[in-house]
Amino acid sequence: MNKTLLLTKSNLRKNRGTSVGLFLLMLITTCLIGIALLIFMDCYPSVSREAVRLNGGDGYLSISGNIEGFTDEKIKELLEEDTDRYYTYHDLKLSNHPVKFGNGEVVISLDISDDSAFTRPMNTFEVITEDTSITENYIYLPYQFNTAGGFNTGDVFEIENSGKKYSYTVRGFTNVVYGGCNNTALFALVVDNGSYKELWDETHEEYENINIIYDLKDGVKNGEFRIRSFNELLKVNPFAVTEGYDIDGVISNRTFIGLIIAVSFLVATSLIIAAVAMMLANSISNYIKENMKTLGALKAIGYTGKDIKASLVIWFLIIAALASIIGIVLSYIVMPVFASIIIGQMGVPYSITFNLLATLIPVGFVVLFTLLVTVICANKVSKIQPIVALREGVESHNFRKNHVALSKSSLSVNASLAMKTFFGNMKQNVITFFVLGFMVFCCVISLLLYENFSRHPKLDILATEICAGVVTSDQETREEVLEYLENRSDIKNIREIINMNVYYDDQESLFCYIVKDLSKMNNTTLCYKGRLPEYDNEIAVSGSFARAYGFEIGDEIKIDYGDNAFNYLITGFIQTANNQGREAIFSYKAADHIMDIDSIPGWYWFDLTNESEDVDENIDEVNRILEECEDKYGIHIVSTMNFYKMIGGAMTTFQGISLMMLVVMCSISVVVIALILFLLIKSLVYHKRKDYGIYKALGYTSGSLMLQTAMSFMPSVIASAIVFSVVSYNVANPYISLFMRSFGLMKCDFAIPVPGVVAIGAGLTVVSFFLALLQTRRIRKIEAYNMLVAE
Amino acid sequence: MKNIIETKKLCKTFSNGGIQQHVLKNIDLEIYEGDFTIIMGASGAGKSTLLYSLSGMDKPTLGSVSFDGTEITKMNTDELAVFRRSHCGFVFQQVYLVDSMSVMDNIMAAGLLVYKDKGTLVKKAGDLLKAVNIDETLWNKFPTQISGGEAQRVGIARSLINDPKLVFADEPTGALNSQTGKAVLDTLTSFNEKGQSIVMVTHDISSARRGNRILYVKDGEIAGECNLGKYVTGDKERHQKLNDFLATMGW
Repeated sequence: MNKTLLLTKSNLRKNRGTSVGLFLLMLITTCLIGIALLIFMDCYPSVSREAVRLNGGDGYLSISGNIEGFTDEKIKELLEEDTDRYYTYHDLKLSNHPVKFGNGEVVISLDISDDSAFTRPMNTFEVITEDTSITENYIYLPYQFNTAGGFNTGDVFEIENSGKKYSYTVRGFTNVVYGGCNNTALFALVVDNGSYKELWDETHEEYENINIIYDLKDGVKNGEFRIRSFNELLKVNPFAVTEGYDIDGVISNRTFIGLIIAVSFLVATSLIIAAVAMMLANSISNYIKENMKTLGALKAIGYTGKDIKASLVIWFLIIAALASIIGIVLSYIVMPVFASIIIGQMGVPYSITFNLLATLIPVGFVVLFTLLVTVICANKVSKIQPIVALREGVESHNFRKNHVALSKSSLSVNASLAMKTFFGNMKQNVITFFVLGFMVFCCVISLLLYENFSRHPKLDILATEICAGVVTSDQETREEVLEYLENRSDIKNIREIINMNVYYDDQESLFCYIVKDLSKMNNTTLCYKGRLPEYDNEIAVSGSFARAYGFEIGDEIKIDYGDNAFNYLITGFIQTANNQGREAIFSYKAADHIMDIDSIPGWYWFDLTNESEDVDENIDEVNRILEECEDKYGIHIVSTMNFYKMIGGAMTTFQGISLMMLVVMCSISVVVIALILFLLIKSLVYHKRKDYGIYKALGYTSGSLMLQTAMSFMPSVIASAIVFSVVSYNVANPYISLFMRSFGLMKCDFAIPVPGVVAIGAGLTVVSFFLALLQTRRIRKIEAYNMLVAE
Repeated sequence: MKNIIETKKLCKTFSNGGIQQHVLKNIDLEIYEGDFTIIMGASGAGKSTLLYSLSGMDKPTLGSVSFDGTEITKMNTDELAVFRRSHCGFVFQQVYLVDSMSVMDNIMAAGLLVYKDKGTLVKKAGDLLKAVNIDETLWNKFPTQISGGEAQRVGIARSLINDPKLVFADEPTGALNSQTGKAVLDTLTSFNEKGQSIVMVTHDISSARRGNRILYVKDGEIAGECNLGKYVTGDKERHQKLNDFLATMGW
């Protein structure tokens, strides 16, 4: 063995504590980066991979309502110019159907097929799990019903049409591209052929639906193609209801909330990595300081600075290599836990696969970072003279200020000595301040996610406008229903808001909120820049759309609907995470320029007069109101929506993931603080071992010295907890905004509960104190006598 | 004369790699109030081990040590620490002042363990520093900013701050030159003359002359004892008596 390896081996043997501490920090770092990268590079791409594998093509169009005139020849004529290939099939589509899902229900379109769905050449359904013992009257549900919807095989699934209930036994769950996730506003179901025939016979006149899955020719833009197709389809039959998604939109809808959480996870992780990196640098630098005498002795007997430097580099690289390899393996082991929650939201089966980049980047980062820090810190070794090193680096007397003079201090002796230690260890205090601060920030961000996605869901992320319920009446009863609703005392703030797709210059579809009286909107933070439109020539568009097309406030934008177009003045930017951030809002009067607003059914959004704290009570109350409406107006009520119920269903998938984030982040914070205090206190005790021996000789007990040492970290811990609690409270939203812009949330105003922030700050302070006290137990081992004879 | 310390069958054995080394062997000893007791012996004879065993700094392997009637060998580490703070003062060869504390704070750090009244303590620390000839301009200096002799005299002041029954001094002049060493010994002698009991380990004859009772440790046992009487400067008869005693001990 050559001399450098001999030194390395000696370092590893002699510095087990430091090696283990650094090993664990590096392991956590690698593991966290690994998990974050696996989420982004392996888990989320699985949605795209599955879409390709199941022949999802470039997009999907559906024609329902009235399909007269849409012959195969006509469809071919419409599509053949723009598409490489397409596949059409007929099935049944029930629009705006309430379905039990998770903790509530979702109001969603149901696309129902027979078992030919499993053999289609495009948009093929695939069985993920099934109970083949169920042989009749069965249904296959999208996989998300199993991962997040609370359904299992053998459960009963009901569909109701015109008062008739159709009950099916759940036989299995499917992987499907279009209609696999509640965020895509469509669930694709497969029933057995016998049941399908029965349903078809009874409902096809009303619900027959033509689906078209297509692959576009090179150069054809999906958005433009869809708009063009919709216009052409409406020319064939103006009473047809056309819908469509491009594949990117579907993928985005299936992943965006999960991605928000994943990005937040990465944001928090990056802070942990920063803290760990800071600690790594400090630990390596401390090691060199602590072993200055040994290094001097080695130099004195003829080792060159290069030999010593090489041994240090090899030592830390061995730790980094081992830790990063085990860390990345650990990330693969832990990933299924994260994935199980994320796929609940995506509704796509996912098995972790080996991802070369996600594996190499964390390992490479940790190893290269360690190498860099070690080389920089170890440069000191080359410069020091043996005699200086033998004096442990002391070249001259150290003139310092006498902080907290005991003769003048009004503090107790333990507090005074703790303060002395505090002032004597400013570097460690700075590290403690920032590490704890970063952890506070991570926890506050996790708290923010938990608060806004789980505890008190921030509904205006999921919906541009929030309400208690929505009633849609046909045009015939429009005024009558409005009057009826306005006369009810149990509801208030009835506002007329119509949702329609309008188009920007045949390029982009904008999901539009057409509002009669904008002042009645509940979502007051909707417009984050400028103002909501007031006059009939004004419109507010989503910020991400404006950014994509270079629009500024004050610009004019041409909006099309059918054959009509009008140039509107942009008065403000709204934020939305829905519809791929392509939304707009304007008034009834403004809409009149491009559509006959009076010919559209009445959409009435309302709030409860007495909203309860208990969501279940609200659900029952809204159900009662909607049922009374339906009883009174019967078939004139086109659709209803219980918002509380819908949110319950929609939020089901996000609650688990945000709770997991909070638990994981708080746990990691405690572990990181414990490790960092371990390394800092280990180093401190080592440096002060002589002082502790003297104190013990003078009559100080181990307990009082431990208390002093733990207390000496408290000023920086408390200052950090206070400063970073305040900073986190004020900065978390703008910080999150930086990352959320790509999802359309331009200006976040997530609620951050002050008691929660206080609990995090106070909790981490208390935990830090007890962890510090625990780490100082090594002071017990210092014996005055041993210190005296050792000298 | 009243004894402060009494040992019975005091043994100390070190074990290193399975080999046992008996450093102190069945020592029965008494230390008396007001004495300036000197422990002498060759290097490795066990004199420092004896000193630290007597002071409760080190635990004997067998036997007992009673301090002022209380058996300290039965105390645990924390009880010993509390015992030391109010009964013992220590002066070390390497001084062992806390480098990060000023001269005054080094004394206060020991005094605050016993004194509740900070005003009284500050005054007493000042008086002691003056008594050991540490100029007031040095009180706020750090140990690395004063000379070795000054540091040792600060160490003596620190050892006396809590009015200990007994001061244990382990080669207090070992790291000093003869002139500063003499000043330190003068300081200790003057406190002894005022009634302070001192036990000092030394292998320096001129230091040993300051004591009134000499104990000679050889191979872990008290090989001999010599009573010199009160120290008087230039007492040649006294010096001769010590030399003769040491000669009989094989010094």
